[in-house]
Amino acid sequence: MHYQTASWGNYVAASRNNGMVGVGVDPLERIERLASENAVVIFSISSCCMCHAIKRLFCGMGVNPAVHELDEDPLGKDLERALIRLLGTSSVVPVVFIGGKLIGTMDRVMACHINGTLVPLLKEAGALWL
Amino acid sequence: MGSQRIIGGGLGLSEAGPSTHHHHHVPSYGVLHGINTANPSTLINEGHAFNFGELEEAIVLQGVKARNDEGKAPLFTTAPRPAATLEMFPSWPIRFHQTSRGGSKSGGESTDSALSTKTEPPFEAESPMSKKATTPSLDHQHQLQHDHHDASRIVGPSSSPQNQSQAKSPHEKRKGAGSTSEKPLDAKTLRRLAQNREAARKSRLRKKAYVQQLESSRLKLTQLEQDLQRARSQGLFMDCGGVGGNLSSGGAMFDLEYGRWLEEEQRLMGELRNGVQAAVSEGEMRGIVDGYLSHYDELFRLKSVAAKSDVFHLINGMWTSQAERCFLWIGGFKPSDLITMLIQQLEPLAEQQIMGMYGLRHSSQQAEDALSQGLDQLQQSLVDTIAGGPIVDGVQQMVVAMGKLANLEGFVRQADNLRQQTLHQLCRLLTVRQAARCFIVIGEYYGRLRALSSLWASRPRETLMSDDNSCQTTTDLQMVHPSHHQNHFPSF
Repeated sequence: MHYQTASWGNYVAASRNNGMVGVGVDPLERIERLASENAVVIFSISSCCMCHAIKRLFCGMGVNPAVHELDEDPLGKDLERALIRLLGTSSVVPVVFIGGKLIGTMDRVMACHINGTLVPLLKEAGALWL
Repeated sequence: MGSQRIIGGGLGLSEAGPSTHHHHHVPSYGVLHGINTANPSTLINEGHAFNFGELEEAIVLQGVKARNDEGKAPLFTTAPRPAATLEMFPSWPIRFHQTSRGGSKSGGESTDSALSTKTEPPFEAESPMSKKATTPSLDHQHQLQHDHHDASRIVGPSSSPQNQSQAKSPHEKRKGAGSTSEKPLDAKTLRRLAQNREAARKSRLRKKAYVQQLESSRLKLTQLEQDLQRARSQGLFMDCGGVGGNLSSGGAMFDLEYGRWLEEEQRLMGELRNGVQAAVSEGEMRGIVDGYLSHYDELFRLKSVAAKSDVFHLINGMWTSQAERCFLWIGGFKPSDLITMLIQQLEPLAEQQIMGMYGLRHSSQQAEDALSQGLDQLQQSLVDTIAGGPIVDGVQQMVVAMGKLANLEGFVRQADNLRQQTLHQLCRLLTVRQAARCFIVIGEYYGRLRALSSLWASRPRETLMSDDNSCQTTTDLQMVHPSHHQNHFPSF
């Protein structure tokens, strides 16, 4: 399935079928699987404004991130809990994976961008070609 | 002494003023009336009876100050109380005494106050006691008179003969019993006067206590004010209920801390300048530069704490100077603008460094745009929440809006993070000495903005100043611009 919000007409959304909704799927595994599916994967909540900011950051750089809205996923709560365990913080969204690797939340992403490490990572993952 | 006894007796009667004695009089009249029906004990049980007994003793026994008269009170009950009751008519004591001394008691009685009536029975009763001249006929007559009067206190002329005969003896006795009081006042009057004195004394004491309380409270208040003033000036924020209660206390605390931060920043600026002028070793310079950088780290830490307690204080920029507030972006300076200024001021730079600076400016701009757009969306969402929905959902609406407002802290946090990262990246891009110059430029820049703000604030206004306009501005310029500021900056 292909779902899109009005402001995100360009990016490819992860389909729910790929997520393999089912009992017994470890949420962490699912996260890893989702993260490796695209060059840039963002776990977000549709109503979160910081998530909106990070999406705008990537779009502004010319990247098309794959966005997973946790509040629109039936198993979103499990994913959120797994992310909290992974990150160790309670404010878990937005979370960014680049090339399957965990980058972190807005803090880390901005720090990476300012210190110049974000763009090489994106290029490496194939999200940027400039 | 005797008068004291009367006072004691008077107080025992009632604490109220004379006017209420009328009310007392009525029931006691009834009680005494009841005594006609051979129930003397009720009178004793009334508080008045003991007083009457004391009075009688004091008056009858000339010079003998009997203290324990309560026991003797029952003796009086044997006296024909009906005779006494006739005397319990409202009258003014002084007049009564005068009139009764003069002659007819009834005349006095008709104008008696209730007070005096209370004192009457003992005087009357005393005569039967002393004389033991109780005549049944008299009793009967008094009883008849009782029947004629209900609650009225005015004695008819019919009673006067008996009353007169009754009156004279107590008066004689009273005259004889001068030991009770120097003044020719009856017990009722004395009691009333005593009560008045007591009341006046009590109210004076109360007033004194109240005034003392006021004085001590005033002293305490001034002391507290002084303590607060001292603590504030020392930079300590004495804040007992601040965390949970007053929101602005977080902002006030931050203002204090920011003031201290600025002072320290000036000191570090001095170190930087000295380092550059004295051309200290690279290692030493590195230390100074790192010190300045960590001072900024400290500022961002302070701001993150302040954002938790009062994010609006940071966003509205009231903690900065007016000119700085002009360029405010999410609670602080805009990194890309700073870098633009630095690129101009830090020339000459190596090619690589210039590229690095432009790259830094570019990334900073992208991050700034992202955060600004996120904040715009937050604002829009807040507007939708507040403006929309029926009034019924008011509370729910507010709850949702509060949740959205809470996100503001996150944005300020991210903006400060961006500023911090930018400053650190600057240090990485530049050599140690270039970094030192860079920080001096930054410090100068914001120092000038602050100077501009204070100049602006103290500028002469047409309405207030008349002739001294020019003098005012020149003094301000001299005051605000220390010369060394201008010396260093042009060298870069």
